[in-house]
Amino acid sequence: MSDTGKKDREGMGLTAAEYVLGVLGADQRRTAERRIARDAAFAREVAFWEERLGGLVSAVPAVAPPQRLWSRIEAALGRGGQENRAGLWQSLSFWRFLALGASALAASCLAALIYIGAVATPGVPLVARLDAERGQAGFVAAVNTGGGSLTIVPAALLGAEQKSLELWLIPPGDKPHSLGLIDPDRPVTIKVPKDLLSQVNNEAVLAVSLEPQGGSPTGQPTGPVIANGKLAQL
Amino acid sequence: MDAETRRRQLAAALRRVAGGDRAALRLVYDETAAKLFGVSLRILNDRSEAEDVLQEVYLNVWRKAAGFDESRASPITWLVAIARNRAIDRVRSGGVARLSAPIEAADDVPDPAPIAAETLESAQENRRLYSCLEELEIRQSAAIRAAFMDGLTYEDLAERAGVPLGTMKSWIRRGLAKLRACLER
Repeated sequence: MSDTGKKDREGMGLTAAEYVLGVLGADQRRTAERRIARDAAFAREVAFWEERLGGLVSAVPAVAPPQRLWSRIEAALGRGGQENRAGLWQSLSFWRFLALGASALAASCLAALIYIGAVATPGVPLVARLDAERGQAGFVAAVNTGGGSLTIVPAALLGAEQKSLELWLIPPGDKPHSLGLIDPDRPVTIKVPKDLLSQVNNEAVLAVSLEPQGGSPTGQPTGPVIANGKLAQL
Repeated sequence: MDAETRRRQLAAALRRVAGGDRAALRLVYDETAAKLFGVSLRILNDRSEAEDVLQEVYLNVWRKAAGFDESRASPITWLVAIARNRAIDRVRSGGVARLSAPIEAADDVPDPAPIAAETLESAQENRRLYSCLEELEIRQSAAIRAAFMDGLTYEDLAERAGVPLGTMKSWIRRGLAKLRACLER
């Protein structure tokens, strides 16, 4: 490796360490966080330091939080649940709106819709809204339980740049299973592998992670999860 | 219960949280809230701010548990990182009055006994970290510890230690480089 390459690598490692240590100012922290999302090597450096320096918290005494805190969290979860359901219905009406043939939509979206329309009739379709950061819908997915496939449509531009987006099915109490690569710009229909068919139900979560081009080299998500959401019955 | 069993149980609970299981979130909370509250309180120096952070942390865990990857991080590391990031961001946003008095002269900080009291972190990993910290100059390791535990910027640390900013940056950066070399040995 050239000297410049080595220097760059050391500089990157230092910035990652400084981010984890917490010595950076607000703007530098935001810059580092954006880099975590798009630079896998940098994200690995951050993970290295989080794991190693994390041991320092053993020197910080535990302090019992007040009893009422759990109640507060539970109450917020309740509200969050309502919001999620409302968000889901919003996206469902969005789907229906599309299905009625809104002409201003991109042809690719319409194609996906026709597909959804076809699968919506026979059984109870499963849908998921995959939220990205700050609760915005990143993707909307609809599963055809009978046909063993699902269609996933980007709801927002995510700016994946030189990365691949990989879709994962996460059954409760299980590891993520890859469903394959998806496109940040257009709807994709994915056939669910036979051995996972029984896991596609309203207990499962769909997640999208940012991976090296061509997908995760390990069979498990290696990059940050940029959007996720639980499947729910329509 | 040993650290490895606890780690596995916490990881399993997080997978259940990812599947939308509220009882599992309660388990994660019961196991980790006191530690995360301590960590947030140390950074924020204000109980009500620390409570707000803790609430944000567990709501975040509820929404983002699917993003936890056991092969990349231990559950407690992942949780501590969320809590520290939230607490530090709150401090950086300027809404929190920081303790202005210097806490202790960094050199006087007694060596904590990290291993015996803790079961959450892996004791072996920790022994390695602390033995590597011992190889650094005292001022370097004291600055790194203070930065991590108190969530201070270079500027705060320089002011607290009464040294120029450039000196503090150099202590920490050299310390981090040496620490990395030692941890990778």
